[in-house]
Amino acid sequence: MSPALAAVNRLYAWKIRGVRWIEIIGVLLVAAMVFSVYLAKAAAARESARISDLERQISDNGQRVRLLRAEVARLERPNRLEALSRGAGLGPVDVHRQATAESLPDLAPIPEPRPVIVAPTPAQPSAPAVEVER
Amino acid sequence: MSAHDPHAGPRPVASWGVRRFTPSWRWLAEAMWWVEHAFGRAHADARPEEDTRVRIFVILSVFSAAFVCLTLGAVHAALLTAGAGGGGSSHPNAVVRADLVDRNGALLATNIVHYGLYIDPAQVWDRPAAAAQIRRALPRVSKTRLEAALYGDRRLLVVNRLTPREKVAIHNLALGGVSFEPEDVRVQPLGESARHVIGNVDTGGVGLSAAERAFNDEIRAAGARGENFQLSIDLRVQGVLENELAAAAEATQAKGAVGIITDVQTGEVLGMASWPASNSRNLAAAATYEMGSVFKTFTVAAAIDTGRADMNTLLDASEALQIGSRRITDFHAQNKVMTLEEVYLHSSNIGTSLLATQMGPRVMRDYFGRFGLLDEAPFEFPSENPITPRDWSDSTLASLSFGYGVSVTPLQVAAAMASLTNGGRYIPLTLRKGGLPNAPVRQVVTPETSRVMLDLLRRNVVRGSGGRAEAPGLRVGGKTGSANKSVNGRYSTAHAVGTFAAVFPADGPVNARRYQILVLIDEPQTYPRTGGFVAAPAVGRIADRIAGFLGVARRADPYRTALGDRIPAFEDLEGDGR
Repeated sequence: MSPALAAVNRLYAWKIRGVRWIEIIGVLLVAAMVFSVYLAKAAAARESARISDLERQISDNGQRVRLLRAEVARLERPNRLEALSRGAGLGPVDVHRQATAESLPDLAPIPEPRPVIVAPTPAQPSAPAVEVER
Repeated sequence: MSAHDPHAGPRPVASWGVRRFTPSWRWLAEAMWWVEHAFGRAHADARPEEDTRVRIFVILSVFSAAFVCLTLGAVHAALLTAGAGGGGSSHPNAVVRADLVDRNGALLATNIVHYGLYIDPAQVWDRPAAAAQIRRALPRVSKTRLEAALYGDRRLLVVNRLTPREKVAIHNLALGGVSFEPEDVRVQPLGESARHVIGNVDTGGVGLSAAERAFNDEIRAAGARGENFQLSIDLRVQGVLENELAAAAEATQAKGAVGIITDVQTGEVLGMASWPASNSRNLAAAATYEMGSVFKTFTVAAAIDTGRADMNTLLDASEALQIGSRRITDFHAQNKVMTLEEVYLHSSNIGTSLLATQMGPRVMRDYFGRFGLLDEAPFEFPSENPITPRDWSDSTLASLSFGYGVSVTPLQVAAAMASLTNGGRYIPLTLRKGGLPNAPVRQVVTPETSRVMLDLLRRNVVRGSGGRAEAPGLRVGGKTGSANKSVNGRYSTAHAVGTFAAVFPADGPVNARRYQILVLIDEPQTYPRTGGFVAAPAVGRIADRIAGFLGVARRADPYRTALGDRIPAFEDLEGDGR
């Protein structure tokens, strides 16, 4: 029997109260694995519940967004806007009152910087010579 | 050999009968017998411990193999087929039909969850009170349906397509036996705006008319991908067109009106309106009209393109033209020899009739065919077939030259005008954003003819009959059309059609960005009924309002300043607007 095989045999024969250590270790490992699988499954179930909850929220919000977009489109429909703005006295701007950014200097020349007038500092008023009579 | 010798024990085959089994069954039976007697055999061989070891080893091997298989399977499922579980293959935003949006993404049609209202009478306590409350919260519910459901014997649908707001109103009544079921409904939030372009969808989500029908499959495919489906329509342009068209139609007390705005370089329809909008018929595609003088544009273009005439060709309109027994006169007779330009600007029937008869039936038919005036317009909607002449006599040619004797849809004229102003390419109109891919484009006239016609159209607005279409700095060019309608086989002066077919800006190279506006007013009741008075002002206002949306800057051209002031060298020839 080779030394390696002998070592394996010895390990196999290592017992406590007639129970092989290797079996005890195996059972403990299996128990640890079962427990960890349980934990992982429970966590996954919790996550997937959360995911489906979020997905439901997303879909609900999506529906609300669609509804609000439709409402915006309804309120912004061109004939309504036109009627409202005509009612408010608005209309297309006359061409003579339109200008581009480039034409602004022609319309309103940039004013010359006005000379800074330095206000003359008033003379320190002397204390009124008021005689306080008693 | 003793009787206990397991190697020579009685074989089962002997007792079961050899003849009843096929060879494979016999082999199986022998194998089972061998396994069953393995213990006894081992004892007989005086090797009992080996027997146990063999059995343990065999069972161990079988279980190990099974667990290795399971492990491999689990690893494979966990690691290598990622993505199959969870999510699902469809897009999270998938809908049955994609939202229909305009070219800038403004919503035209969408799907909204509505609710069907169901009542289970067994759970309703006070039926008269419930009926009264529901009717107060939802006045549109049918009384008979509601009572049939409340006093019936099973759960019944009372009303469907409840909007979310109506659902909340009913829900807040807190009645027993009332329940809702969601249903997907197509809504057009714009109401009557652009309804002739968008169209309708049935309850099963299949497009019934207009764009919903034309692009049905693509809209559904885009919906499955969670995307929008874009049309070429620009809602701002569409809105201006509808509002100005309605204003013009109401001001002239017209029976109907049509407006079309297209991009002449791509064939995209930016706006299409049919008034009154309450009429489900789209007059742009489903009605034909004799357009009158608008057709002089096509006659003159053909004459220039064939090389028969140029702007300075002289035509004798000094007296009425006699063709057989028919006398062709001018509305505003000038009674003089005119150049081709004057013929066009004065809208002379005599002049264009002369051109048409000189060109002859073959050339006229060829050009009108290429302008698409003789066939149904190629478009996404089915449209009305034009009414084309039966014979091509000189009298017919004369009529055709100024727009009688042929009834066409406004779509056909819009496409033909576009082809004349984009360098001579006939591009089918489309509602698809970006234009039709692989559109069948045909050359109608040369780019030089197109350039000449653009200038002529512009001059017609500056000096001719289209003056009321002028929009300051936008270089509008166009041709008026005024035709009497045939009523009971006779042309009636009381029933007219006034048209204005315009392009802007008319200057610049033939392939520059350019837009075509067609406005047609059917049976205006105000006087004068000519296109220059009923349709041209609307075109001017539309161009003025949409130029900003389309990015057309106001600029001066040889005829007008950027602010629309006259450059004195050019003045109106006359202001009759015919």
